[in-house]
Amino acid sequence: MSENKIYIHPAPVRIWHWIHAAGIVALVLTGFQIRYAELLGIMSLADAITLHNYVGFVVIGDYFIWLGYYLGTGKIKIYFPDLRTFVPDAIRQATYYGYGIFKGDPNPHVMTPDNKFNAMQQKAYVGLMFLLLPAQMISGVLLWRVKGFADYVNLLGGIKIIDTIHVILFFFFASFLVAHCYLATLGHTPLAHFKAMFTGYEEHH
Amino acid sequence: MKKMKKLKIPTRSIGVCLLVVFCLWPGLVLALDNAECLDCHGDEGLTRENGSGDNGSASLYVDADKFNHSVHHMNDILCVDCHADISALDYDNDLPHPRELAGVDCAACHEEAAAAFGDSVHGKIKSKGITMTCYACHDYHYVTHLAAASVAERENNFCAKCHNPYQSHEWLPKQAEHFAFVECTVCHAPGVQRHIHLKFFDLVTNTFYKGEEILKILGVGYDEFMPMVDTNKDGIIDKAEFEILELMLRQKNDHATFHAELVAEVEAAAHKVNRGVAEKNCEKCHAADSPYFNSVAIVLTKEDGSVDQHQVDRAVLESYSLRHFYIYAGTRVKLLDKIGIILIGGAVAGVLGHLTIRILTIRLRRARKNTKT
Repeated sequence: MSENKIYIHPAPVRIWHWIHAAGIVALVLTGFQIRYAELLGIMSLADAITLHNYVGFVVIGDYFIWLGYYLGTGKIKIYFPDLRTFVPDAIRQATYYGYGIFKGDPNPHVMTPDNKFNAMQQKAYVGLMFLLLPAQMISGVLLWRVKGFADYVNLLGGIKIIDTIHVILFFFFASFLVAHCYLATLGHTPLAHFKAMFTGYEEHH
Repeated sequence: MKKMKKLKIPTRSIGVCLLVVFCLWPGLVLALDNAECLDCHGDEGLTRENGSGDNGSASLYVDADKFNHSVHHMNDILCVDCHADISALDYDNDLPHPRELAGVDCAACHEEAAAAFGDSVHGKIKSKGITMTCYACHDYHYVTHLAAASVAERENNFCAKCHNPYQSHEWLPKQAEHFAFVECTVCHAPGVQRHIHLKFFDLVTNTFYKGEEILKILGVGYDEFMPMVDTNKDGIIDKAEFEILELMLRQKNDHATFHAELVAEVEAAAHKVNRGVAEKNCEKCHAADSPYFNSVAIVLTKEDGSVDQHQVDRAVLESYSLRHFYIYAGTRVKLLDKIGIILIGGAVAGVLGHLTIRILTIRLRRARKNTKT
């Protein structure tokens, strides 16, 4: 490999990422079909629910691969921002995305294996992976067996409350998918980050 | 002769009058009321031989208390109205009526139901030599009002006696939820009318409140319930009125909530269940404009099993006042759709805006790069 290439994404992370990506896309599509059954004709409602359930459990299993890897290797700390520098880092990063990038300024964050995410990514991913995704998984499991988990469903306020949590997070993940795919085009070439997530190597320019 | 004539005329008139009265009132002719029948059949030990019970016998006992709560007794139906081949009791014999009686002909009164049943899969098996009687499902003497029955009661007392739903609905997602909240005939009797029943439910004991129990909590009587709730007096409990009712309920008893079920109208069409015609199109129900939710009612059960039903606006199904009921797509909360549009629309707009500026500033970046090199 050339000197300006750096190995950022180990194989377990790449495998987890692409399973997760395919799963989230499938969950979003089947989620739309389930919520708007009378308006969309991607597939039948019965098939959409069945597929949504299966894929949901794949994503849950995949989450634990991610958690196991990052906890096991101790790399979980890359998700947690340094509170002393977080605010100025985040301002600097936001300024870059909102202004500097158009002028051709260099990205203020330089990716390394131990410092993979910029301040804004850390903020987004720590909430996503430790709060929103678990909440979505738990609400999804409760909706999967409403009758079997009736006591828990009632304890949390009823099926409509659980559904509201699941649906708002569903819309959030659908919008995140749009933003995430776009932000992935902000490398030195539009496909650079996509390529890196297959090869594991990011190129520094 | 004249005297005799004077005596004959009144006698003939009285005789004709009595005949007319007796014809119009069969009970008088028979002079058999239920108490006479229960003199013997109220004995728990009364059996007949050649039955399917222990020692080849069959019980002939009729529980008077249960019978008195039956819908037939409440409608003043006598034993001999159904057991119509008993015209008189001859107490000179050990058995005061014929040993073998004809089968009860329910169709004599329930003509429409009998016709629908005859045209159903259950009626048609007669051609295969299997006769399914009405009382195989409806019981003999203790038929009660069904309007108040929950889905579980309707299923357990009828279809589930013979059918295990889990063995024949492999294609159906969320089986347990469907079997718990949707009555079988909602899908299996396509011609039937459907209703959403909202019943008061105790979350702690997992039991339904009887009408008088919930009215006691609310501090009103049956006749005062609707005037109390329907404040705009339009005859329908709308979303705002339902919210106030739910709030009152929480103030007075925090265990009480609403339990919603999709049930079929108790009507003749419910008997017309046939193979291959069950509704399998999920979107028929799972749609925001589904006709299945046109009729929504709060159901107050009475002691005799009958009900008071109070019409509710279907918009209530989409409200958070009804937190323990949700049907995918069918009763979705519209506010969440607006939040979804804002979130996804915001992301798409942000991406498109950023992309547009990126494209418009390509020359700027190229010029800067060239200057650097």
